Amino acid sequence: MIELESYLLLSAITFVIGVIGVLTRRNAIIVFMSIELMLNSVNLTLVAFSAFLGDPTGQMLVFFVMTVAAAEAAVGLAIIIALFRNKQTLNIDEINILKW
Amino acid sequence: MIMTFETVLFYFLAAASIASAVMVITRRSPVMSVLFLIVNFFSLAGLYLTLHAQFIAVIQIIVYAGAIMVLFLFVIMLLNLGDEQRLAERISYKKMIAVGLSFAVLMEVLYVVAYSGTEFPTKNLERAVEIGTVEYIGRELFTTFLFPFEITSILLLAAIIGAVVMAKKKID
Amino acid sequence: MVDQILESLSKFLPETTLVVAFCLALIADLVFRKNRGIVTALSLLGVVVSLLFAFQQAGMSLSVFSGMMAVDPFSVFFKIVIGVSAVFIILFSLYSHDVQTTERRKGEYFSLLLALTLGMYLMAGAANLLMMVLALELTSLTSYILAGYTKEAGDSSEASLKYIIYGALSSGLMLYGISIIYGLTGATNIYGINEALSTGEVNEITLLIASVLIIAGFGYKISAVPFHFWTPDVYEGAPVTITAFLSVASKAAGFAMMIRFFKVSFLDSNVVDLPSGMWSSLQGFEWNSILAVLSVLTMTLGNLVAVWQNNLKRLLAYSSIAHAGYMLMGVVVLSDKGLAAVLIYFVVYLFMNLGAFYIVMLVANKTGSEDIDSYKGLGYRSPLLGVAMVIFFISLTGLPPTAGFIGKLYLFVALLDAKWIWLAVVGALNSVISLYYYVRVLRNMFLRDPEKDSGSIRFSVPQVAILLLLLVPTLLFGLYFAPIVDWANASVIMFGVR
Repeated sequence: MIELESYLLLSAITFVIGVIGVLTRRNAIIVFMSIELMLNSVNLTLVAFSAFLGDPTGQMLVFFVMTVAAAEAAVGLAIIIALFRNKQTLNIDEINILKW
Repeated sequence: MIMTFETVLFYFLAAASIASAVMVITRRSPVMSVLFLIVNFFSLAGLYLTLHAQFIAVIQIIVYAGAIMVLFLFVIMLLNLGDEQRLAERISYKKMIAVGLSFAVLMEVLYVVAYSGTEFPTKNLERAVEIGTVEYIGRELFTTFLFPFEITSILLLAAIIGAVVMAKKKID
Repeated sequence: MVDQILESLSKFLPETTLVVAFCLALIADLVFRKNRGIVTALSLLGVVVSLLFAFQQAGMSLSVFSGMMAVDPFSVFFKIVIGVSAVFIILFSLYSHDVQTTERRKGEYFSLLLALTLGMYLMAGAANLLMMVLALELTSLTSYILAGYTKEAGDSSEASLKYIIYGALSSGLMLYGISIIYGLTGATNIYGINEALSTGEVNEITLLIASVLIIAGFGYKISAVPFHFWTPDVYEGAPVTITAFLSVASKAAGFAMMIRFFKVSFLDSNVVDLPSGMWSSLQGFEWNSILAVLSVLTMTLGNLVAVWQNNLKRLLAYSSIAHAGYMLMGVVVLSDKGLAAVLIYFVVYLFMNLGAFYIVMLVANKTGSEDIDSYKGLGYRSPLLGVAMVIFFISLTGLPPTAGFIGKLYLFVALLDAKWIWLAVVGALNSVISLYYYVRVLRNMFLRDPEKDSGSIRFSVPQVAILLLLLVPTLLFGLYFAPIVDWANASVIMFGVR
């Protein structure tokens, strides 16, 4: 029997990997993928709690988090396309008319 | 026997998901990152099954691996990206701060997991199996969670319009 | 179940109106391709009707849709603040160069504006962590798009990208915090969380980490330091109408959601020996000290960095960060008086900040520039605009006889009442710094000669009328503020809290 802690630890590690990806990568598409990693680890936490608490709310939350992630990815990629038309780059260090 | 099988499965999937997550953020080519992200999603779907969340496991594959990742791949192909420039080799102070912060978060989160262990409940197998079914989730979704469900439709509609507005080539 | 849902719907008319208006605006945009003015009229009508329904909700205190949303004086107050600013933004859009030059996209602009307003209404009433996330995401997604609305201009789509990256990161952090809270309490409803926290023993450090992660989500919405990085770039790059809307309504919605979450979830209703109007948080869990630190950081950084800015929109961005810091002071004190002060501040801030952005828009329409240098001699080129700007800036600084003074006064009184003297001192010092950069702009307008061959600037009657609609309240509320104060005091009541 796998303990709840194992799942939580796993999702914590995935979450931190995602955060590191967002903070260190410069390619906007990979940054978005790192954000997907973060959201997935949130989902894992929620499903794990849901199963161990015997409460369906957690799984419902996952359902909505997935929807939100899909919407966010669609809009984010559309913005990337719009920006790429202007600048021909996806490196967020080169996108700097406005100061960071 | 079943116990050991479950344990082996968990550690295998956990290792696969961590390894693929690391690969996602270290690959230079976005296409490689997407492929490893798909591996990550599949291993998570497997983990959901070990938690008896069948419905979530299925939509994880259909929605994430099937739809969102195809969208990512499609955009990468559309923009025709080669390998991105080599990861910055020189260590900038910004990056040091970023990695430092990340590890601080890691330590905090590990602390949460390590120190609050005793309070967590143990799994009630029957109940866990019951709430993971499509039937149970469907009933919850259209009673208690009807309102958020409807709001989600507005959210998706707004996102569709937004994506079209932003990605359309030239409107004016 | 069906009865309950129908019953809930009848208590939900402001939001329903916006949903209907949103869909109608989309259809109208497709049908009336020749005359897009209809979409504008429709969205204005939608917001006004939703405002009327919001006024009707005064005095209600109930929870709808299985505890997902609360309809109470607190949420109604914020709906009205958001709705009024939405009306102003639609009026601004009629004269905005950015919006009017993109004729074929106008339909999407106004329908997304309605969706954005809906998201903010939902944020004001959300009583469940799930609803909070959805409302926050609806607001965020539409603001990302609207910030990049003039996408052909490089800085607009760039602003949009920065916004979505920071936004997605902080909503990810917030969701992780929410998942931990759910694990600790087994509930997502804020009343359920409160119950679970009051009865069971919860690991305090876990709770603290979860709260910090959740604050990341709120902090990004209200642009509190250190979650403010997106603010200057987005404010500078986005069309000025959207900037103005984000600076007022988005901030109001963020505050509404944050206050409700912290007050209800961590309220200890068993403590009775407190002065009336004060409350206490559970198990000595001092979330307000985290907010106190954020408040000091936010106002100090906002004001100090604003001093160096040369673009007026960027300057106003930092000034709006600083204002978020002032308003956080009112939340920190854990008293009804402090909350009422925040509410008063929002009414005042609505008029003065929208006014300042409106002038930036009018000037940018004529001169094509938002640099402070381009304001040289503006006081002579258009005396009305000059005087209006002086009044808005005096009000933003918080000096009498303007409304801004009343806002600050009530904040400081609430702080001193609750013995947060050091915070009040920091706030007062910050107001002094803010005087410096506001006056720098005014000096450019009145004491510098205009560039050669720039004549006087004239405006049409409706443009002046909109300006007066913002200017008169800014002055009036500085002298006659009793109604606002009464309204704010009556609006601190939340559903489910004694």
